[in-house]
Amino acid sequence: MNLSKPALPRHETFLLLVVIAEWLCFNWLGRGFGSLDNTRDIVRHSVEIGLLALAMTPVILTGGIDLSVGSLLGLCAILFGKLWRDGGLPPWLAGLCTLGLGALAGGLNAALITRLGMPPLIVTLGTWSLFRGLAEAVTRGVDTFTNFPPSFLFLGQDRLAGIPAQAFPFLAVAVALWLLVHRTSWGRSFRAIGFAPEGARYAGIPVQRRLALVYVLAGLVAALAAIIYTARVGQARADAGTGYELFAITAVVLGGTSIFGGAGSVHGTLLGVAALAILSNGLVHARQPREASGVLTGVLLLLAVAGPRMPLGILGSPRKSLAKPSRQPQTGESNDA
Amino acid sequence: MRRYAREFSVAAALLVILLALAVFAPAFYQAQPLLSLLAREAPALVVTCGMALVLICRQIDISVGSQFAVVSVCAGLLTAANWPLAAAAPAAVLLGAALGAFNGALVAGLGLPSIVVTLATMVAWREGLRWLRQGLWVDLPEGAQWFGLPQSAGQWLLLGLALLVWVALALGSRLLAAGRFVYAVGSDAEAARLAGIRPRLTTFGVFVLMGGLAGLAAMMNVVQSPQVDPNSGTGLELKTIAAAVVSGIPVSGGRGNIWGVLAGLLLLACVSPALTHLRVEPQWEKAIQGGIILGAVAAEGLHRRRAIP
Repeated sequence: MNLSKPALPRHETFLLLVVIAEWLCFNWLGRGFGSLDNTRDIVRHSVEIGLLALAMTPVILTGGIDLSVGSLLGLCAILFGKLWRDGGLPPWLAGLCTLGLGALAGGLNAALITRLGMPPLIVTLGTWSLFRGLAEAVTRGVDTFTNFPPSFLFLGQDRLAGIPAQAFPFLAVAVALWLLVHRTSWGRSFRAIGFAPEGARYAGIPVQRRLALVYVLAGLVAALAAIIYTARVGQARADAGTGYELFAITAVVLGGTSIFGGAGSVHGTLLGVAALAILSNGLVHARQPREASGVLTGVLLLLAVAGPRMPLGILGSPRKSLAKPSRQPQTGESNDA
Repeated sequence: MRRYAREFSVAAALLVILLALAVFAPAFYQAQPLLSLLAREAPALVVTCGMALVLICRQIDISVGSQFAVVSVCAGLLTAANWPLAAAAPAAVLLGAALGAFNGALVAGLGLPSIVVTLATMVAWREGLRWLRQGLWVDLPEGAQWFGLPQSAGQWLLLGLALLVWVALALGSRLLAAGRFVYAVGSDAEAARLAGIRPRLTTFGVFVLMGGLAGLAAMMNVVQSPQVDPNSGTGLELKTIAAAVVSGIPVSGGRGNIWGVLAGLLLLACVSPALTHLRVEPQWEKAIQGGIILGAVAAEGLHRRRAIP
């Protein structure tokens, strides 16, 4: 909600400059950073986290959060391997079933959040543990699925017209989500819900159904990310995607989406993903330790929230500044304690 | 009695599991393994108490695991440099409090959302530690393990210390003015300010206390083994948040009871040994813990729907 036009450049413009600066800096410092091969490498390695971040954007726009996407990635990868190897399904059919499971798991989150009116943070913390636990239980912690046919591995390891194959589904999802969030009334309703859930309800927005939609979408995209992950690594393991949820949230917040909901953009998230991916790849090429990228990511994240744009929303109202927002329309503060 | 209904239902669930274990797997009740289990969970109890206060203040701290790791390694290095434990332990608590103060300054001072601030510090501390130490373990000198006491005495000491912290915080949050401030700020920061409470100072204090408790917990963990694992504390943040939530502390702040966290933590902690004793594959642990969290969430949601028609 752009209530007052800031005089400073938009967050996304600023982030674009950061990405370009990173690129130039690493091109100068690192050997072979700007080569076509390395660019493909960056794309290949950032698609899964990028997908999760894209799906996380509408969730955070509505003022929610989804901690379970990384675990769901692991569970979906296992299910895909199970269906293909033990179920004897061809990869495309196993992939379709996996997408179905992803949507179903997202539906579980959605049902608990909308039907019971519980905060998404807690619900998805529970499913974060549940999904990972199911993946570990199915494989007994040791079973991995390998030897996928080359026709399937193509999706993760080969390229089409010089571009890594997984970039195409990623672009499709990015465009679809951009259109959904920025060009439809549904996308506008996500922001309205994040900005003021009660107000959105009075404005006639079916809040529960819209919320359910964003969590089901997140589950669906996590399943797609699981398939691409399996194709890239050539292996489906129970610990696939551990910690990805935090990278995805970092990319979204870095991209200028307010963690309180109500403001943000899909292209901002794309830039956030790019900034993180270039940073971690570039530091390796500049022969810096990998860990430096983690530290710099934390610093960037703090700068992004403390930066010039955010205070409009946060410092402006002391109540909101200290209050974790009531993430749900009906978390009425009943002081019965 | 109704006021503590939620805490009692968690305790009842724990009791059911313990009874089931008594019937089907009496071997669970051997004194030494049970004591070891409790001593292993003692640091988590200390952190969970702090996390409960943070949640009551309507904030969240997901950097505790990283704080725990940083303090563990630093305390290990101090002990290895022949600092007496009596000096290393306060240093660990102070270091933890300093890390907490950093979070607190950003959250309370600049008014940044705590989930983003602590996400950033979580990544930064852990990766910074890896960068500086390259994942090296720290060897502790001979007399450091169990404070130089026999093992079971050391375990009893840790257990007693954790219970002491638990009782102190539970009583303090009920009886001390500062404890009531935390509830007031978590319930409504603006109303608390109008009532003469300083919300920023209270929030800052809660984060400092959280850091100090994480430091104490790290010290309690360091003395349990002859070496310090630089990756200790991974996942501690979500474990303690889960324990607090299961024991009935809502993330919406202003409510909840620290007495309950002991039962909540034990309920989650006894899943793994229970599975072993009941000869179920231990890989089910996370799934069952997730089920317990969701069960607690569902119970809370249904209860609330009935309470507010």
